[in-house]
Amino acid sequence: MEAVVELKGLTKRYGELRAVDDVTLRIEPGEIFALLGPNGAGKTTMIGCITGLITGFEGQVKVAGLDVVDHYRVTRRMVGLVPQELNWDAFFSVRQVLEFQAGYFGVKPTRDEIDALLDQFSLLEKADANTRWLSGGMKRRLMICKALMHDPVVLFLDEPTAGVDVELRDELWGYVEALRARGTTIVLTTHYLEEAEKLADRVGIINRGRLLRVDDREALMEEFGRRHVEVRLRETPSAQVIEALGQHEVEVQGRTLKLNYTRAGGDEEGGEEVDYLLKTLVGAGASIVSVEGGRSSLESIFREVLHEDADASSKGAS
Amino acid sequence: MSVSDERDVKAPEGGREAARQAALEKIARSRDVAQERQLLGAWTLFYKEILRFWTIAGQTVISPVITMMLYFLVFGYSLGDRLQEIRGVPYVDFLVPGLVMLALITNSYINSAFSLFITKVHGTIVDLLVTPLTYVQFLGAYVAAAVVRAMLIGSIIWIVAWLMGASPFYSVPVALIFMALTSMAFAFIGVVVAILGEDFDHINLLPNFLITPLTFLGGVFYSIEMLPAPWDTVSLFNPVLYMVNGVRYGMVGVSDVPVWQGAVMLLVLNAIFGGVALWLLKTGKKLRD
Repeated sequence: MEAVVELKGLTKRYGELRAVDDVTLRIEPGEIFALLGPNGAGKTTMIGCITGLITGFEGQVKVAGLDVVDHYRVTRRMVGLVPQELNWDAFFSVRQVLEFQAGYFGVKPTRDEIDALLDQFSLLEKADANTRWLSGGMKRRLMICKALMHDPVVLFLDEPTAGVDVELRDELWGYVEALRARGTTIVLTTHYLEEAEKLADRVGIINRGRLLRVDDREALMEEFGRRHVEVRLRETPSAQVIEALGQHEVEVQGRTLKLNYTRAGGDEEGGEEVDYLLKTLVGAGASIVSVEGGRSSLESIFREVLHEDADASSKGAS
Repeated sequence: MSVSDERDVKAPEGGREAARQAALEKIARSRDVAQERQLLGAWTLFYKEILRFWTIAGQTVISPVITMMLYFLVFGYSLGDRLQEIRGVPYVDFLVPGLVMLALITNSYINSAFSLFITKVHGTIVDLLVTPLTYVQFLGAYVAAAVVRAMLIGSIIWIVAWLMGASPFYSVPVALIFMALTSMAFAFIGVVVAILGEDFDHINLLPNFLITPLTFLGGVFYSIEMLPAPWDTVSLFNPVLYMVNGVRYGMVGVSDVPVWQGAVMLLVLNAIFGGVALWLLKTGKKLRD
């Protein structure tokens, strides 16, 4: 089946620097794809090549099966972009800006359609205000409205929550999920791992222009799958208990025991260590105050992938 | 929808499959829609550009008209009485095409240069670069809007001068053609400078050091037959001279240089400047790097 966006060997050079380096990637219809990478990793450049902001790249970029260079008039009609940098047009009102943006794409929205969109993004009462007087958060929402005026097939959100407060961030996440439910494929770049963890179906990790990993978010988290269980006891465990636990790596800190383990196969497999820990404690008559568990976050996985990449490149260099 | 509730944010598997189906349907629809109303984009950009200068008409239209009318009063009436007729034309009449061109050249350049450059400063250029507008449409909209502003200002000065007693209607079509071709050439230059420029100083460089001097020395206020040698000959290398004299022929029927030479030169200059602007847009230099 055809991908919404397909990159084959995409490379963008700036002199010696390869801002995007031989990236091959498919974005599937209806998914939320998060592109993760540190600042300067090449996320924005990659999006630029797809949306038409950047030309002169090597390799092939297709949107809905059409080449973005040869068929740019059709592909750009299908793509929406919310750029990272806040922008505003100091000459016009919110409503005018939206009418113009729709018009560039050959779309003639009715007044009611614009009002409905503005209402959805809590901007309706600012419809006739000059865009320069909007707050940062309002400008950000207006930028999303602009990108939605032509009802794109795939929406690119470049660092959508950079500099955005928690409340607006939660709202934006809600909009993104609602959009996807209506059939808009979403690609977002972020260096906030929490964002990807909450929203993304699939995750791509990019560093120094190279796409290091692409996987389902869940699969990625399970593969690295570091987990821990922390047990807090009413009293300091006896030497006998500690000895009995000795065969597993349990950290003991006063009345708290911490077990680190890996569960690569998902929730259905493994976990014998936890079973053993708890049975041993109960068997020894220890009084348990609390049991807390957790798994490694996307953030730690992200760090690990970047770390491996740094190791690989330093070996390559030496 | 309660967005703070995590259950709402993470879609269930069924939701993902439904979204996939909706996405596939949307892609199929979009391919047809993408072919519709392809001229609306260019028209929208043109209309927006007209509205941009019109919403601040005090600065962009009225102000240059007032400046030129002051020139007209001071040079045409106060000092003009002391000048003899030039090429058999009263100085007041002789001056009108010069002032029209002074305003026309400055405003056509500054409209396209400033308007495009400000989108780079504000970052709204991104909103244009992602659209399906063709390079020709993009350039055409900016240049057409600049030509409209320049022609509007030029025509107001022309008519006001007539109301104040000048008789500048020798051949209106010739005057209009020269005005249109001149403003188009400078609008092209404005687009080129806006694309290449990196700060406002770059935008002002050309008018300050080239366009204004060439215009003042291009026979706006005098005929080159009044200049001592070799300056009359040197003046023949100034392209603005041909533009001003083309309009002067159209308005009062006299010219320092053959009108056909001016017409050919303007066509060639338009082809060159328009070609450079189009090449920059097509290659994406400085805009899509």
